[in-house]
Amino acid sequence: MKDAASDTRDIVVEEVFPHAPETIWKTLTTSELIGRWLMAPTGFEPVQGKRFTFQTKPAGAWDGVIHCQVLEVSPNERFVYSWKGGHEGNAGYGSLLDTVVTWTLSRTANGTLVRLVHAGFVVPRNESALETMGNGWKQVVPSIGGMAGEQA
Amino acid sequence: MIATAPIDAVMQALAVPTRRAVFERIVQSGEITVVELTRGSGVTQGAISQHLKSLKQAGLVAERPEGRNVYYRARPEGLEPLADWMSHYGAFWRDRFAGLRALLKEIDR
Repeated sequence: MKDAASDTRDIVVEEVFPHAPETIWKTLTTSELIGRWLMAPTGFEPVQGKRFTFQTKPAGAWDGVIHCQVLEVSPNERFVYSWKGGHEGNAGYGSLLDTVVTWTLSRTANGTLVRLVHAGFVVPRNESALETMGNGWKQVVPSIGGMAGEQA
Repeated sequence: MIATAPIDAVMQALAVPTRRAVFERIVQSGEITVVELTRGSGVTQGAISQHLKSLKQAGLVAERPEGRNVYYRARPEGLEPLADWMSHYGAFWRDRFAGLRALLKEIDR
């Protein structure tokens, strides 16, 4: 998804799980369970405004800590938190990151559609080089990662 | 820091429309030979080989010889200079969804 105003992109991953939204909600919002499929959070509570962290691989001047804050909690439906990290001295992995993760659960006939939107990735800064490349890579990148967010 | 081709090399490799088309076909195919890539491409096998060489040098494509054939596949990490965090988290979340699926199965038992 290309947002004309902010020049950022989103990653979207969707999957239908054969489980009730209530079951999936627990895995997304219980500290111990989050640790079993995502990463072990520090200071996590599913309470709006609550701040928590994840420890990831450091890069350059960045200690690898992802700083999150719970932005929205609608039980069994929607869960939103910020996801920030990186350092301006880094390029690529470890560069400045100011993003938002949104989980949406929708009950379906045979389970629950889980939709993850990780929004706010700033496109590479070398705009003139991007221009000469045309739009090719914009199609390439999502097909590589199996990301569903950029279907034109 | 992971060793990747400089951003210029990646940009240049993907700036040529035919080469980009070759790369996109490799991405879609998973693994593919030069012969298969040439078929229906409208250009010669020699031209395809040249494009593959450039893509390889840019770190976008890897090869695997098997018998008389060489199979080419995309290196998603080769796009890191371009997509950086995005390519990282694209792969990250797909992996984590697999983990979530496994955990849910376990909870169900």
